[in-house]
Amino acid sequence: MMETLLCASGLGFRFRPGAPPLFDEVDLALQPGQVTAIIGPSGSGKTTLCHCLSGIIPLLRGGETWGSVTIKGKPVDQMRIPEIARNLGMVSQDPEAGLFFPVVEDEVAFGPENLCLEPPVIRARIDEALGNVGITDLRLRNPHRLSGGEKQLVATASVLSLHPEILILDEALSQLDGRGRWMMERLILRLRATGKAILMVTHDPNHLDVADHTFILSNGRLSPFHGDWAAFPAGPEGAC
Amino acid sequence: MIPNDSATLQHFDPRAKLILVLSISSLAVAFNHPIVLLPLSAVTFLAARFFGVQILRAMSSIRRLLWVFVAMGMIQSVFTPGGEAVLAVGGISLVSTVGLVRGVSIILRIVVIVVSAAIMTTANPRDIVQGLSQWRIPYEITFMVAVVLRFLPLMREEAEDTLTALQLRGVRLETLPLRTKIRIYRHLLYPLIANVLSRAEKMSISVEMRGFRAYPQRTSHRNLVFSPRDYGVIATSILIVMGVLLPYYWNWLPTS
Repeated sequence: MMETLLCASGLGFRFRPGAPPLFDEVDLALQPGQVTAIIGPSGSGKTTLCHCLSGIIPLLRGGETWGSVTIKGKPVDQMRIPEIARNLGMVSQDPEAGLFFPVVEDEVAFGPENLCLEPPVIRARIDEALGNVGITDLRLRNPHRLSGGEKQLVATASVLSLHPEILILDEALSQLDGRGRWMMERLILRLRATGKAILMVTHDPNHLDVADHTFILSNGRLSPFHGDWAAFPAGPEGAC
Repeated sequence: MIPNDSATLQHFDPRAKLILVLSISSLAVAFNHPIVLLPLSAVTFLAARFFGVQILRAMSSIRRLLWVFVAMGMIQSVFTPGGEAVLAVGGISLVSTVGLVRGVSIILRIVVIVVSAAIMTTANPRDIVQGLSQWRIPYEITFMVAVVLRFLPLMREEAEDTLTALQLRGVRLETLPLRTKIRIYRHLLYPLIANVLSRAEKMSISVEMRGFRAYPQRTSHRNLVFSPRDYGVIATSILIVMGVLLPYYWNWLPTS
């Protein structure tokens, strides 16, 4: 039996006490070597769910949660963020917000440096992460002068360099061009083959091809999605 | 020869630049006579030119404040008595020689500080952080320096974007009376602060989720080492300081 890397059980969230819940009774298990996709209309709470699963809520952001989330069997509310960061990497939908160094390689090195790795190991991880997302040529560029798609790839590389066992991609493919998406999809498949547990939040039904399981978050409930676009408020076109 | 290759210029250790900038600006603060400040200004401009600072751009970034500095210089000229009258009306001295010297000194001091500080803008912020870390300054502090360097232009961009959005909606700021302008700027402040706070929160989440403070220490894939030309910059800084301090101790310089 495979160890569940991330498990949410009966998870619910509301922004403040007394407010209607954004979602409730969310059950989700991320297994090694599997890609799980979550789709849902805008405002359904996909990003907030990612924050709850990664411990950002309640450890860094406010709001009321109930139910449980465990990472490798340990409740997230009993973990410190650096401990979570050693196991879980998250690429947010706004890559710009996470980039603060003026050179791409420094951005990618930031995580491994925090983990106190030796300089040769850090350099190897920079090479590997940049190569994985296909942006080796951007190594010495200023991330703030790159296109939106390129920034998204830099943000992804800076998370991959941490070698997380669990990877959450919150609409991390949304700003990519055709080549970038193709690269990322191949990367997701490669990471899956190495035993990573990947959670992919997307608006684009074309990305569902790489997913082993797909769920839809709609009306506050997370339920399995079997290609029934009628359940999606705006249909597949609206999802794009 | 003045090198103009930005890659070459960035290869100077930021700590060497920092020593030079601190030396020059400290002298500008400590001495307020044009006999010191004039040659110091010349040295500062030469150093800035050497490090590839776009001096006009540096000055234009504070162009709105320049008038304040000039006004300060004029006020000093008018209200500082002493010396001979340069400009007198009806026997009342409006501008005296001492006042004129004070006024010129204030302007020179500010120019020296601004231009010398601009030298640091030619250093890679990541190298500044690395250099300070190698001086055993806690990473939390040096990282804050990097974040501030990142955030200041971001705030300016944010303000410009909000202004542009306003103008696209038909607001012509230049034609509005001052009172309305102030009201609009006040409204502009709310989205600006909200956006900056939101960005700061997102950045802090990104930083934390990448293992910031995971361990008491951290490593770096870079290691700055002083090269002979960095030692050259440090030696020049020492020469500049000695060039002012020695004449001062030998009483060759005027006291005010």
